[in-house]
Amino acid sequence: MRLLISDLTHRYDDLTVLDRIDLVLNEGEVLAVIGPSGCGKSTLLGIAGGIVAPSAGRVAVDGPVPDGCLNPITYVFQDFALLPWRSVEENVALVLAHHPLPAADRRARVEEGLRRMGLWEFRQALPKQLSGGMRQRVGIARALAVRPAILLLDEPLSALDAQTRELLMDDFLDLWRREKTTALYVTHNLDEALRLADRVVVLSRRPGRIREIVTIEEPRDRRLAPAAQAHLAEVRARLWHLMKAEAQMADREIARA
Amino acid sequence: MSIARWTRRTLLQRTAFAGVALAAALAVGPQPVAAQTLDKASVGVLALSSSGPIFIAKAKGYFEREGLDVTLSTFTSAQQVPVAVASGDVDFGVTGLTAGFYNLAAKGAITMIAAQSRDEPGFPLSAYVATNAAHAAGLAKPSDLKGKRIAITTVGSTFHYMIGILGQKYGFTVKDVTMVPLQDVPKMVAAFKGGQVDAILAPSTVARQLVADGAGQILGWAGDETPWQLGALFTGPKTIQTRRPVVEKFVRAYKTALAEYHAAFNVKDASGALVKGPGYDALLTIIADATKQKPEIVAAGLPYVDPNARLLIDDVVNQVRFWQSEGQVDKALDPKSILDLSFIGQ
Amino acid sequence: MPDPINTPTSTQSTLQAVRFRGGGFHPRRHPWAALAAFALLIALWEGTSRVGLASPLFLPPPSAVGRALAGMIADGSLWLNLKASLLRIGVGWSLGTLGGLTVGLLMGVASVARAVGVPLVSAFFPIPKIALLPLFILWFGIGEASKFATIGFGVFFPTVIAVYSAIDSVPRNLIRMAQSFGLPWGAILRNILLPGALPGILAGFRITASIALILVVAAEMIGAEYGIGAFVLMAGNLMQTDTLLAGVMVMSALGLTIGALLSLLERRLLVWR
Repeated sequence: MRLLISDLTHRYDDLTVLDRIDLVLNEGEVLAVIGPSGCGKSTLLGIAGGIVAPSAGRVAVDGPVPDGCLNPITYVFQDFALLPWRSVEENVALVLAHHPLPAADRRARVEEGLRRMGLWEFRQALPKQLSGGMRQRVGIARALAVRPAILLLDEPLSALDAQTRELLMDDFLDLWRREKTTALYVTHNLDEALRLADRVVVLSRRPGRIREIVTIEEPRDRRLAPAAQAHLAEVRARLWHLMKAEAQMADREIARA
Repeated sequence: MSIARWTRRTLLQRTAFAGVALAAALAVGPQPVAAQTLDKASVGVLALSSSGPIFIAKAKGYFEREGLDVTLSTFTSAQQVPVAVASGDVDFGVTGLTAGFYNLAAKGAITMIAAQSRDEPGFPLSAYVATNAAHAAGLAKPSDLKGKRIAITTVGSTFHYMIGILGQKYGFTVKDVTMVPLQDVPKMVAAFKGGQVDAILAPSTVARQLVADGAGQILGWAGDETPWQLGALFTGPKTIQTRRPVVEKFVRAYKTALAEYHAAFNVKDASGALVKGPGYDALLTIIADATKQKPEIVAAGLPYVDPNARLLIDDVVNQVRFWQSEGQVDKALDPKSILDLSFIGQ
Repeated sequence: MPDPINTPTSTQSTLQAVRFRGGGFHPRRHPWAALAAFALLIALWEGTSRVGLASPLFLPPPSAVGRALAGMIADGSLWLNLKASLLRIGVGWSLGTLGGLTVGLLMGVASVARAVGVPLVSAFFPIPKIALLPLFILWFGIGEASKFATIGFGVFFPTVIAVYSAIDSVPRNLIRMAQSFGLPWGAILRNILLPGALPGILAGFRITASIALILVVAAEMIGAEYGIGAFVLMAGNLMQTDTLLAGVMVMSALGLTIGALLSLLERRLLVWR
């Protein structure tokens, strides 16, 4: 399934945050969106998943819904968005409850998601008993349980410390190695984009416009290899070049406000 | 400008002169004692016409003439007056007799020394009022109240006792009626108008208002049915012990006012109709000012007082026995132990 | 590595221990202190009466209050009064809470209901219910209905306020999450809004339970034969101060019990916090 964004503009009152965005997320591709704070990255993701109504423009999906997929476009949130009063298991089961599924299938989906993220033995735990990394793993298991066609990840690692971030990036790579995933990954962190994405969309500061789309030639699995470093350094320099001036200006703008 | 000044000065002089003249006019009988030797005393009252003799004694200088400088403290409920005397906040009190009063007396906190007002035939103070519905259903006279629902203020109040003696007269007990305690008159009126009770016992102004509103019928007056000792003048036993002369002076002044009140308001002619006695208008004005009521309203509800401040001792004994039988006053209390009538020579 | 202080290499004469300067400012539990203070207070109170410093009329000694309380237990009047009051508190509180939950919920989720409700609640909440008693008598009579109504009205408005503010406090990101997974409106209400609002609602219960307890005295001003409020009022009218204090003790014990039950409920229902 592909995601198509066409001539998208979004305003909050008279403040234009996204300005005429055209973007295609191809099937089996991980597309990172980076840009300075306040450039409308999260708004773009909200519109793509249908939880924010755009001021103008269209968002569409193209292609058949895969078998067993209950929620084609599915989010993973920066703040995890777990219900604190439900156990790990119940948090995952929450998103299946309103679908007409045989009880066995329901249980199997919960168990599969939890086992994949290494959460099975913590299924009875409450979110408050878990570390940040484990909480985000619950968020990912919940997304997996509906077998999404397109994953929308909204700065999924921003609330985590550096080591946990590394661990979770490994988890993502592991998941995406096993099955072909289509994902839009919003971040302000260059390292995440360089490790996880096939292409990187650089947004300008407000109003957000696409400045450039940079393709990373090196396959995801080989990016830690010494041979890949020259190319990655080049991409990083290019991305930073695109971002730096924008980030500086955005920084001053926020400071003034 | 000079005219204005002249006028004002003259006015001041005239006022001063009038004041001296008034003081001189009031100074009949023994000469007023010099101001610095006045004994201080205080009395707790309710702003009701039943406290009228106290207002008269104060306004006409009878306390000063006895060598007392008396301060009036006005309270809003009958319960507060004996409490204030018991706590020593005031030296004397005049108010209605309730079970709470006798409980304070039983603990040795207060002693009755003279009478206040009485319920007496021909003096409409408290009425039995029936709702129209109950009246239509046959509640026509006070003796019919047996078996009915009657709103009162509180358990242990004067209204409670009035039902008790009405029962004693007509051969029923308070167990034969349903007394509904509603704390205050506005709630009693609400329950009455809402048809929640068959009858209420109400002060004359309230009773007449209910009739005027077409909400009920007056069946009779407690004074006509069951004359009784409504209230008393009382003080603390310690005051009697340590300041006996002050008590004597206070009672003397009180009795002077009482006699004057009686002569003005309580005297009937041969046909039994009330006649206006000497000083009627002046005394009515004093009471109306003190109670902040219109004179015509005060005139309609002036209670009877004994000119010599004599207590209906039999009724006081009956009251204590009644509260004891109701379980609301200590069985051990001897009614005579809370009376000291030596000041009125009874 | 050798102990660096106790070695010959360090010049012992210039060594200076680092002085401890932390500590304090940390609340510690002293479970016996409260009890001891309580016992001391009672002993002091009894003492002042025994020595004759306080008249038994103005401050009945604890022993007299205890005797009055024992008398109430012995003749069964305690249970009779308590039963009547508990029924009134129970029914009145439940009615007020049920109404408050419904209206508060409506105001929490529907902005039109809120626009209508907030000024109305602000207008009616501060009215002292005692001032309305004569009206309640006209509307509901002097039976149990007006007593339920007095307590119910007192409980209703704070419940409304507690419920809609509790719903406001449910994180919006949880609702967006549920929407993004396609949860229907009813499931969002059941699974997210209500459990998320529960802490605020329970905190509201704590307040409304106290209000119900205060209002039972007002309610029992309306022609109540039995009831702990009626009992206290009567003792006051009769100037039976020891009985009055015994009744007050029963009321505060009732308050403590209700508070403890609510704490238990909170611990049970809000383990996730």
